[in-house]
Amino acid sequence: MGVVEKLASVTAAYPQARAVAFADLSSSMVLASQGRANVTQEHLDRLCREARTSFDDPLFGLSVQAFGEPHSAIVMGPDSLRVFLRSEDDPADAICCVCDHGIDLAGFLAKLRETLHQISTGV
Amino acid sequence: MNKALLPILARLHSLQTVSHVSPDGGRLIASRSDPNPIIVVLREINETVLARVLQFTTEGGTSLAIEVAGRRILRVAEAKGLEGAEPCLAAPVLDDEHKDTLIKLLQALAKPRQEIKLTVGSSTQGSDGISVGLPVALIADLLLVELNGLDAEVVSDASPPPQVEPQAPIVVVGEGGSAIGRFARANGPVLMAWLILGGEEDGIFEGPEEMVEHLKTFLDDEIKDLTAQLDRLSAAPGQPICLGLGASLSEGHSLLCARAEGSILLGLAEGDCTQTLMQAWLSALQ
Repeated sequence: MGVVEKLASVTAAYPQARAVAFADLSSSMVLASQGRANVTQEHLDRLCREARTSFDDPLFGLSVQAFGEPHSAIVMGPDSLRVFLRSEDDPADAICCVCDHGIDLAGFLAKLRETLHQISTGV
Repeated sequence: MNKALLPILARLHSLQTVSHVSPDGGRLIASRSDPNPIIVVLREINETVLARVLQFTTEGGTSLAIEVAGRRILRVAEAKGLEGAEPCLAAPVLDDEHKDTLIKLLQALAKPRQEIKLTVGSSTQGSDGISVGLPVALIADLLLVELNGLDAEVVSDASPPPQVEPQAPIVVVGEGGSAIGRFARANGPVLMAWLILGGEEDGIFEGPEEMVEHLKTFLDDEIKDLTAQLDRLSAAPGQPICLGLGASLSEGHSLLCARAEGSILLGLAEGDCTQTLMQAWLSALQ
């Protein structure tokens, strides 16, 4: 199963996920994505920038002091939820998602973690 | 029991109530087992400080959309399947002469033992200094509804005060509190230490003093850069936003940083944040 198919399995399992993208945070580049028809490249680029911002100082530095490097981030606004996971094998690899509120967050995170691991390790 | 604790305990109690999110984004606030759903409806209005349009829809097809701000009912925006709504619908702002009609509408909407869904929309009203409309507390008094919801459980004055664990002091801030304060408290014990900077609950904290002191030092030193980080994640500077960072968010430690209404919250969580985080955020924004 290729990267796109793996991302498609996330959106199929969680229709409240508006877009799911696999990105290289070091180059701020979205390498593959799946999502609703109205998600544009501009949206995906912004999602990638937001992932980098989430794992940025000053809050990243406080996390490191408090408990170590964070690999998961969640950003909640009034209208949507964004989830960013960095790979533990290669922290530049990340899955970036924007979802509707009301998604089963615990299940979604577990699915994303599994998917990212598969993509990063080439399983 | 210390009656000043009632609003806090009422809020904790209400969080034990099942509140399902329906696929279209609404939230089920009353089920077929509720004998008196008007209580839930009034409490939802009472917990809405920011200007919002609350649309209550029943499984029977009736609905009532009201514009609220600062725990006041400003106007009736829409009423479907409810007779006698015209005087309220015609009024640009509700006042005392509309309260009987409004009460009848609420009673007609919130009939016993039916599902009621709440959808929250944005309003063009400001949220500060609202003095028009009808206070929900007035409507509740007329309907003999206790907005705090612990009337059956209040211990008599003769009872000893509850024990408070010294490592987790709860600071009472009055009914409801700020959106950020409600968000913090709604996360429950998983949020083991937190502090609010700015706004209505400036300086309010919970958790071990040493942890809170560390969070305070960080906020004092980094508030400008932290605000900039939150602004980069928001649709517009100053907008409500919450950022959580953790190893996994479902176990271990996580940091939560949230902003709303001019307040910033910084907190340290331990354990599974995913069970409470989203619902706490959505409830606080209402």
